[in-house]
Amino acid sequence: MRTRIFAVLILGLVSTAGALYLTLSSDHEQNPAFIAAVYLVIVWAFIITGLLAWVRRPSNKFGPLMATVGFAFMLGALSESSNAYVFNIGDILGGLGIAVFVHALLAFPRGYLETKLVYAIVGTAYALVLGVAAFYNLFNSDTCEGCPRNIFFVTDSSVGRMVAGVLAVAGAGFVLLGTAAVLYRRWRAASPPLRRTLAPIFITSAATLFFIGLAIAVSFVSSEASDVVWWFVLFAFAMVPLAFLAGLLQLRLARASVATLVVELLSADGLQELRDAIAGTLHDPDLELAVWLPETYEWIGCDGALFDLGAAAAEEGKTTTFVEHEGEVVATIVHDAALEEEHDLVEAVSAAASLSLARERTVQALKQSESRYRALLDAAPDLMFRFDRDGTYLDFNGHPEDLVSSPEQLLGSRAHDVLPADVADKIVNGVREAIDTGRLVTGDYRVVIDGAERDFEARIVKDGEEAILIAREFTELKRLNAQLERERDYIRTVVDNAPSLFCMIDPEGRILRYNQTLEQLSGVTDDSQARERRFWDVFIVPEEAEEVERELLSLAAEGAAGEHENHWRAAGGGQAVVAWSTTPLLDEHGRPNFLISGMEITERKRQEEELRRSRARLVQAGDAERRRLERNLHDGAQQRLVSLSLALRLAQAKLNTDPGEAGKLLGSASEELAQALEELRELARGIHPAILSDRGLSAALEALAGRAPLPVEVRAPDERLPPPVEAAAYYVVSEALTNVAKYAQASNVDIRVERLNGHAVVEVADNGVGGADPLGGSGLRGLADRVEALDGRLQVQSAPGRGTVVRAEIPCA
Amino acid sequence: MATVLIVDDHPSFRATARAILEADGFDVVGEAADGGSAVEAVHALHPDVVLLDVQLPDMDGFAVASHLGQNGHAPRIVLTSSRDAADFGPLIAQCGALGFVPKGELSGTALRAVLR
Repeated sequence: MRTRIFAVLILGLVSTAGALYLTLSSDHEQNPAFIAAVYLVIVWAFIITGLLAWVRRPSNKFGPLMATVGFAFMLGALSESSNAYVFNIGDILGGLGIAVFVHALLAFPRGYLETKLVYAIVGTAYALVLGVAAFYNLFNSDTCEGCPRNIFFVTDSSVGRMVAGVLAVAGAGFVLLGTAAVLYRRWRAASPPLRRTLAPIFITSAATLFFIGLAIAVSFVSSEASDVVWWFVLFAFAMVPLAFLAGLLQLRLARASVATLVVELLSADGLQELRDAIAGTLHDPDLELAVWLPETYEWIGCDGALFDLGAAAAEEGKTTTFVEHEGEVVATIVHDAALEEEHDLVEAVSAAASLSLARERTVQALKQSESRYRALLDAAPDLMFRFDRDGTYLDFNGHPEDLVSSPEQLLGSRAHDVLPADVADKIVNGVREAIDTGRLVTGDYRVVIDGAERDFEARIVKDGEEAILIAREFTELKRLNAQLERERDYIRTVVDNAPSLFCMIDPEGRILRYNQTLEQLSGVTDDSQARERRFWDVFIVPEEAEEVERELLSLAAEGAAGEHENHWRAAGGGQAVVAWSTTPLLDEHGRPNFLISGMEITERKRQEEELRRSRARLVQAGDAERRRLERNLHDGAQQRLVSLSLALRLAQAKLNTDPGEAGKLLGSASEELAQALEELRELARGIHPAILSDRGLSAALEALAGRAPLPVEVRAPDERLPPPVEAAAYYVVSEALTNVAKYAQASNVDIRVERLNGHAVVEVADNGVGGADPLGGSGLRGLADRVEALDGRLQVQSAPGRGTVVRAEIPCA
Repeated sequence: MATVLIVDDHPSFRATARAILEADGFDVVGEAADGGSAVEAVHALHPDVVLLDVQLPDMDGFAVASHLGQNGHAPRIVLTSSRDAADFGPLIAQCGALGFVPKGELSGTALRAVLR
């Protein structure tokens, strides 16, 4: 690069030396000193400017083009030569500088041409200065005064000159107007920073072009006036590189303003102010700034929101510059592409801002994480309070409706101001404990909010010299728990107080738990000791335990229910008959267990057995009674009748032979017959007393009393009772009287019958020796069976020496 | 004239039966009130006929008849009872007795009819 610069400079010096020599030694130049000065000033202004631009942007062709403008301009010096060929070449090339200038101008600032129009303008400019000038010379023999002859001259043709003139004017017009239009369009489209770059060149160039146009226009009227305007052209032309240099100087000044920027950045608060400062320094009001958060892999813009760098950078005319701090990207500046021209400035601004941006990035990262945590807090159902040591509310997070008072009232208040004393004590003590020990303090409290009691579980953690209290409501949970507990208690009470025996066992027969009823029956307390053992070992009598184990295990294997009847162990070493069943039942953990539910039926069994025996006794008693009747008939009346029959036959036989004997026989037969009748009557009474059916209990008892061998007093109502009741009462009295006569050695008997509470009560009391075995004799036992068959009850009180009372109570509606 | 032993626990029947049978030409050689004394009386008296009541206090008439039947020179036994023969089923035929006369129908003729 440096070599090239030197080469250009040396070429420039040599060319200038040549040009000066030609100019100052010219024989036809009227004002050689002035022209030489112009070369020195204008030509070198362009060359120096071009080189500076080239150095600044080596890849940009604008620098070389500017330098070329200078060199091309210098070619015009050839026309100062006295040699005709050199003069003519110089005469034609003298306009080349203008064409290259137009080229450079239209390539500014990118250094290359765009659009067909621009190509057309530049092409026309070159054609105009080279082609049309040469073409004009074909028909113009005249040269300047004292100048060498025109070697291109072919023929003197005013038409040719006219054509050349028209072409020249048309071409110049197109070039000038086209260039003006392009510049105007570019200016309109340019962003402020770009205009800042364009302004110096555009203004001076526009002026130059304007004066060129003016000069051409004026030349049609007066060549002197045109010459004057050409001076303006030269002047304006000379101003172009100067303006460019001035632009560069302005950049230098702008860079100096970076120092001011640093001061502004230091005092800037927040990303927005940083952006404003940078935008001000770079004169790019649309500049955007975003910081990079490596934790979340995000760009955050000035508004604190996510920044879409891809979209921003893809915008037309935008470029991004990354700001690095300590080798790490901290931010990006999305700015006008024109600022590429001021790359150094951007770099300087970027470097100056890096520290502040790095700091800002940290702030943004903190804000981001804070907002994330805040979102997390807001999403959490928990209430959060920050307290100082004294229990003053510093901050809270949660729904206002969960607070005991309004947020405004709460913040700054002390716990004791807004909470009941006991709750406030609890909280303040917890806060102090957390702050002092640094440990998590937990507890719960109940407060009344809007008239409703609400329960909260509190966790208090230390936060510096303050404490954070996190409160979670569990009112509903507590209510549900209480309800659950109540239901459990209810079920437990029902289970414990039910007459049924309940026992839960697992599939291996291990006792899980059982109810109080079973505890009472077995006398085994439901404790951990019992729960380890097998059901059959604890509750079933040893003789049946093995059978129950077998049945239960097979039921468990099938998961089936079953019904059983076994002897269970009863408290005190006894046995109880239990009818029981098993039901597969999932416990609260979903495990397949078995519920054994049983009912003690010992008493029922006993009653059934008693009933069975009572029936058997009744049947036996009936049989015995029939046997007795048969024996009585056979031994009594029948024998007498047989004797009677034989006696009558004998008497008949003796009637004729021995009438006296026959008469005796008939007499004894008559006696025998009377006795037989009496025995039959007695027997019939024994089967069923006819008087009882015909005249009722009272009369029947009076008859009994009348036949008794001792004084009997009868008190009985005259009303009739149901026949079975009358019969039972009759036989009770009859049997009792028989016993009195046999054993009691009594002197009198009281018989009393009355209706009492829906029962017929029959009582036979004697004043005998007592000591009767109540149910020992078959007679009384049979009576009891008879009475119990009617759902009645027979009692015998017979203390020795205190007489005997037989009392029957028979239900009688 | 055939000799007869009357076995019955009722004295009135024994007296009446003796009177009837003697009137009808039988020689009543003895009376017994129960099974045991009946067996003794048979051994002592060797009656031709034993009028044996079925129902006796110690053993019943069938047992007495069976017992007597085990001896070689057993008397001819006629059972009697105030019950009907049908009440006893095949017992009468099985015990070795010749037959049965109901007490109410007892007469010399009835007895001879069985003995014949």
